[in-house]
Amino acid sequence: MKIIKKTGIVAFWLLVWQLLAIIIHNKILLAGPAESLNALIQMAKTPDFSASVVTSMLHIVAGVVIGCVLGIVLGAIALKYRIVGEFISPVVTTVKSVPVASFVVLILIWIGSDNLSTVIVALVVFPILYLATTNGLSATDDKLLEMAHVYRMPSANKIRYIYFPALIPSYMSAISVAVGMGFKSGAAAEVIGQPLLTMGNGLYRSKINLDTAEVFAWTFTIVLASFVVEKIFIMIISIIKKMFVPASANNQAVNNKDEEVQDDN
Amino acid sequence: MTIDLENISKSYGARKVLENFNLEIENDHSYVITGASGSGKTTLIRILLSLEEPDSGRVHLMGDYKYPYLNAGVVFQENRLCEQFSAVQNVVMVNKKNSVKVAEEELLRLLPEDAIHKPVSELSGGMKRRVAIVRACAIPSDMLIMDEPFTGLDLDNRIKAIEYIREKQGRNPLLITSHDMEGLDFCRRIEL
Repeated sequence: MKIIKKTGIVAFWLLVWQLLAIIIHNKILLAGPAESLNALIQMAKTPDFSASVVTSMLHIVAGVVIGCVLGIVLGAIALKYRIVGEFISPVVTTVKSVPVASFVVLILIWIGSDNLSTVIVALVVFPILYLATTNGLSATDDKLLEMAHVYRMPSANKIRYIYFPALIPSYMSAISVAVGMGFKSGAAAEVIGQPLLTMGNGLYRSKINLDTAEVFAWTFTIVLASFVVEKIFIMIISIIKKMFVPASANNQAVNNKDEEVQDDN
Repeated sequence: MTIDLENISKSYGARKVLENFNLEIENDHSYVITGASGSGKTTLIRILLSLEEPDSGRVHLMGDYKYPYLNAGVVFQENRLCEQFSAVQNVVMVNKKNSVKVAEEELLRLLPEDAIHKPVSELSGGMKRRVAIVRACAIPSDMLIMDEPFTGLDLDNRIKAIEYIREKQGRNPLLITSHDMEGLDFCRRIEL
């Protein structure tokens, strides 16, 4: 029932789009879904298409991974050593607030277009994971940390049993946002930098040719690639979560904070 | 070992919870600290564990004590268990030397078999308390410190827990805070 309802909603908006295309009757201004689908099929037949998709995805995924590692490691260090956090904080604020386009132009000048999208995506993803790490670690139950200190709990166990359960929920949502933002900024960087055989470059060429159907086709390809990569990342985190954190586990901090010893007699 | 608490005073704002408190804790001895709520029992334990500094006075860990702070098996006022993990995992996680097999054996002394592999969040309050007691006793330590360890336990379980604690105590000192002296006649009573 739910699937039928969702399919109905999608069909409705496709119909609206098609009707608008018919009314406007100008392929340059608005290509309809049928024309866009046709453009996608034609594009998919060319060898450049798959090369572009693979190249862009590899660069963007590399950027996401680099950004994640940087954000997680620096976030953990910043919380452990307050002074490091104070130094990193303005960098994070700057990276968050400076428009991606400015970074794209600067990075393009500094390193050229070959690895532009990787660097841009890493820059966009870094603050998201940095904040998820610092917020997640800050939310760790102090009483459990005190217990771990008193018991001289091994560091590996502290990470697995105390920090991990606190971090996983914030990472789930952060990764989802990071991958989406990564693809958007990566594609934007490719449009500006125009590295050859990339999805952004394809999008740019479609714009130059005033081929709106191809613009929609490339956009759909980028959205689909983003969706697939996001699902893969979420699946990896879910597997890690299943390996290390039991299913019943998400309310640990709440349980410990609100805990009252009750009679079981 | 001997721990000397010398003239310990502690206040929170205008409220004085400990004033010139003195106690010498020795091996082979057990102590029960009693007193009304807010009389400073938990504060005393926190000072003993170096989790809080006294306003004045000192805690001496006598002899050539090798650790910077007391190496103790502790039952906190709250259970402080990792709720999503099983009782066995909670016992194993605190010390590299704790094996699953040993943890299971120890937990079965105080808990039914079907309880020890369930996530702690699914256990009753009294069962959680017993897991916390086993955890405190399962690590190699120089002292056992237990803050109201028997809260939520019926008399049978309380007596079982006391027997278990006494067995695990060995020659080490034991310090318990409790409102209720039932079964604690072997302890020296200190009123706060």
